[in-house]
Amino acid sequence: MALISLLAVSAINFWLVEMLPGDAAARILGRNATPEALALLREQLNLHLSAPERYLQWLSKLMSGDFGISLVADRPVLDYIASRVANTALLSGFALLLYIPISISLGVITAINRGRMADHVISGIVLIFMCLPEFVIGILLISIFAIKLSWLPPLALIGQAKSFGDLLQLIALPTITLVAAMTAYAVRMMRESLIEVLDSSYVLMARLKGLPTWRVLLFHALPNALGPAINITALNVAWMIGGVVVVEAVFEFPGIGRLMVDSIGHKDVPVILAISMIMTGAYIVTNLIADVLVILLNPKLR
Amino acid sequence: MAVSETSIGTWRAGLGRATRGLSASGRIGAAIILVYVAVALTGSLWAPYGAAAILTGSPFEGGSLKHLFGTDNLGRDVFSRVVLGTRSVLTMTFAATFLALAVGGLIGIVLGYLRNWVDELGMRIIDILISIPTLVLALLIISAIGNSLWLVVLTVAFLFAPRVARVARAATLNVATNDYVAAALARGESTLSICLREILPNIMGVMLVEFAIRCAFAIIFIGSLGFLGFGAPPPTPEWGLMINEARANATNSLWPVLAPAAVMALLVIAINLFADGLSRMIDHPGYRTTGAK
Repeated sequence: MALISLLAVSAINFWLVEMLPGDAAARILGRNATPEALALLREQLNLHLSAPERYLQWLSKLMSGDFGISLVADRPVLDYIASRVANTALLSGFALLLYIPISISLGVITAINRGRMADHVISGIVLIFMCLPEFVIGILLISIFAIKLSWLPPLALIGQAKSFGDLLQLIALPTITLVAAMTAYAVRMMRESLIEVLDSSYVLMARLKGLPTWRVLLFHALPNALGPAINITALNVAWMIGGVVVVEAVFEFPGIGRLMVDSIGHKDVPVILAISMIMTGAYIVTNLIADVLVILLNPKLR
Repeated sequence: MAVSETSIGTWRAGLGRATRGLSASGRIGAAIILVYVAVALTGSLWAPYGAAAILTGSPFEGGSLKHLFGTDNLGRDVFSRVVLGTRSVLTMTFAATFLALAVGGLIGIVLGYLRNWVDELGMRIIDILISIPTLVLALLIISAIGNSLWLVVLTVAFLFAPRVARVARAATLNVATNDYVAAALARGESTLSICLREILPNIMGVMLVEFAIRCAFAIIFIGSLGFLGFGAPPPTPEWGLMINEARANATNSLWPVLAPAAVMALLVIAINLFADGLSRMIDHPGYRTTGAK
């Protein structure tokens, strides 16, 4: 099923890119286009073949790991985007690393304090963050920490980082932006599912046995609230694949999201195709992993 | 002709009827949304300056009585642009969401009612469409066919429709087995008429909530597209675009960045409060929310 979706997505992507105005040869040559050069380049790019034929050709190359040659950089796409993919992976990795403990602990705090002050305050802040578009969060952070306080740099040009400390400073704001946007959903869901579990009879039983609260939470309640949490995390990672495009644009972060926007501007078709395939692939794989994890965690579904 | 006591009374009663069962936060949300709608409808009559009028004051003025939200790099009045932008933002949002609800809703209801091979096939296609990250697909579509106000609306509607269809189908499955559907079938009504006259009215609540939630998503989504430069073309006073344009000069003045951002955030919060209240009202008629369970 996942493979079929990926295949279908590749066809949709290819067809959409096919609809970009002007053909690839004219786009590469730009103003230098003479009729002879155009004809030659069209021959080289196999533009004389029909669109379905070229799609199959592109697909078979893709299978062998060949993404084609970037029209702008004049380098193999894989080579060109590899460092960008690594940067985005770094950013998302940092964000995930922070996101998991923060959302679980905030979820627990709001759930066990439900109806009290701590719950109201945290839930209120979470609701506001949930409603703020990620680029607004990013800009707010820039205007507070970079412009008003000048603690952190406004742009995340991580190519300039000389040490790990530098890197942390540069990547801090984009990471916080991603975490804030993701945590908001997760805390709400975590709270709901934990409250349901805390009201269950086996938690009451554990309490009546006289177990300390932390034991009840850690060994009885949390494992049973994790299923929904994993689903939310999958949704969040899926969201992050799109959100990263916006966050990278806010901070001029040199990742694949930024490259995607730039490449669309330059009409660099092989790069656009490669990035959209990578993003869709990551999206589908994430959902697959989440499905498997949920089944593994729940003995009833095994 | 003075406004009589009784007419105020009936007006109050009408308001009470319309919002009965809606939680307090839901009412606050609804009130804020109404203010935005009023601003969108009448804004062009009272906005102090035109949306494209440059040098209404010197560039990068702070907030003052003359320029409530200050001025941007071209000396345009930020308050006027935010006010005038309300119309394009709300029009795009409502148009896109309404289209998505109409198309996706109809598809979902028909699939859920038929439950045969058409349903199988339709759901497979919907699953595939949903598995493409929305923003990636939106960027591809818009770069392929160009960006104008209405193409953005169509793109957003196209992206939301399969998601709406899923919700509508799930709601239809609960309703389709009821006797009144069987009765309609026995009367010889056509599939389309059963879907529209028997099923649709009974899942209207779900669809209303879906409409409200989708509206909030649409505002964020359209704002993000505008911010990335793939939304409405400049100098449209669209909030996302305004933030994008003002961002380069954020060190000079924060007003042109923060004003549209705050206005957008408040609207999304209001819609979320309203949607939350609406879904509680429909789930439990007469049920008053007390916060905790």
